[in-house]
Amino acid sequence: MSDAENLVEVGPASEFEDGDAEIVQVGRAEVGVIRAEGEFYAIRNQCPHDGGPVCKGNVQKELVGEFKGTGKRVDQQYSDTDIISCPWHGWSFELDTGIHIGDDRIRVPTYDVVVDDGIVYVDKGD
Amino acid sequence: MIDAESELVVDCDWHYQDSFKEVAEYMPEPWYTKYKNSNWDDAGVKQNLSSFFPTSTGDRQNYGKVLREHSNYPEEPEDPERVTEGMDFLDIDVSLQISHLILAMGGVTADDERVQAFTKGYIEYMLEEVLDPDEGVYGLAPMPYGDVEASLDILERVEDEEAYVGACFVTAGASPPLGNRKYDPIYERCEEMDFPVVYHTGGSGLDEYVRAGYQEMIETHTLGFLESNMSQIVSVACQGVPEKYPDLDIVFMESGVTYIPGLVSRLDEEYLKRPEEAPLLDTRPSEYITDFYFGTQPLEVSARNDLLELCFDMIGTDRLLYASDYPHWDFDSPSIINELPMLDDDERRAILGGNALEVFEI
Ligand code: FES
Repeated sequence: MSDAENLVEVGPASEFEDGDAEIVQVGRAEVGVIRAEGEFYAIRNQCPHDGGPVCKGNVQKELVGEFKGTGKRVDQQYSDTDIISCPWHGWSFELDTGIHIGDDRIRVPTYDVVVDDGIVYVDKGD
Repeated sequence: MIDAESELVVDCDWHYQDSFKEVAEYMPEPWYTKYKNSNWDDAGVKQNLSSFFPTSTGDRQNYGKVLREHSNYPEEPEDPERVTEGMDFLDIDVSLQISHLILAMGGVTADDERVQAFTKGYIEYMLEEVLDPDEGVYGLAPMPYGDVEASLDILERVEDEEAYVGACFVTAGASPPLGNRKYDPIYERCEEMDFPVVYHTGGSGLDEYVRAGYQEMIETHTLGFLESNMSQIVSVACQGVPEKYPDLDIVFMESGVTYIPGLVSRLDEEYLKRPEEAPLLDTRPSEYITDFYFGTQPLEVSARNDLLELCFDMIGTDRLLYASDYPHWDFDSPSIINELPMLDDDERRAILGGNALEVFEI
């Protein structure tokens, strides 16, 4: 469990629907707290591409492809991974890790989220 | 019936068998001089109409400025001796021969078997008359890739022939582009045989396919070759050929090196915005493309040296293969590589020969 002084209060968990994002200030950073499929994620609201508001983007499952054999069409399916796409140019990141889905060297900082007594908090990680 | 002989008869379509040679005498300058210097003399009506009228732009001999022996297309059939003569002239020990005529296959739209028949004939002719591993003369088997079965037949035919060391795909005009799954069986077989796939550009004479109306060869020779290779590099990489066939060696020929950093930078930029459209890739396309091999000719030695150095750096000196393009008019001799100031001697050796011996297992 995180230290209480490290927690930034976001609000009641009951006020979040899937896909909702709430922006809070964590230190000097703007952080978006996002609910996807009942889980909470927190991710820096600043896109490493050109500073766009990542957390305002669409949350969806990652579309992946699998080679099914010589001459076959690549099989495309939505995986279980939740991603968020920056609304400015579409760079997309795994919500869980903040890693860019096309290049794992690019990452948006993520934060731990704590839900305590029905209230959502972001852990500053200090 | 009338008596036609005594009537007036008008024939509205007679073909006068004019020849450029006679007409040129009456042409205005500068065309008269350009024509006179173009070695198109004496061909009578059998001459290739496209050499002057625009299915092609200009004269690759630069209207008489390029005078080197063997540089022009010969009027006589090629003589196998000229291969070893040329190798002596350039001081080359091993050469990989590709078909000159096959470069135009991209222009064939007829649903017949001319490309298949030509490639089958070419394979046998070269084996019989020209290729000679003892003399260092090896061949690349042209793929009539529009017909996958025929391509597999050719691979089967050359599999145990020491003289053939790879498969050649002409990049000009390939449609659908060469990353399409349609060609998978050819790639699968090449991977199995340890046969590098050599994509060879073309396009200076097929300029109409890019955009009609260019005037001079300087325009189409610059653009056509690049466009043909770039189209296929993008398709092969984005469709994941290197992921599907990870042991397949991929080689791109004849567009110099400076286009690679520009192309991969642009492609990476697109990829970061739309990676789900290249779903087989694990990382940026540039990471795959710089694993390909690239023929160096025509090397842009007039470019800023730091640009050339950057290109060599991005591609990697272990990925560059010296190529002469001999006897074409814009050939590079080995000194083009040897005199590059940014290379050390090991890198010179690798580019001039070592890399190729490894890739083609010669
Ligand atoms: S700023 Fe986010 S994708 Fe460009």
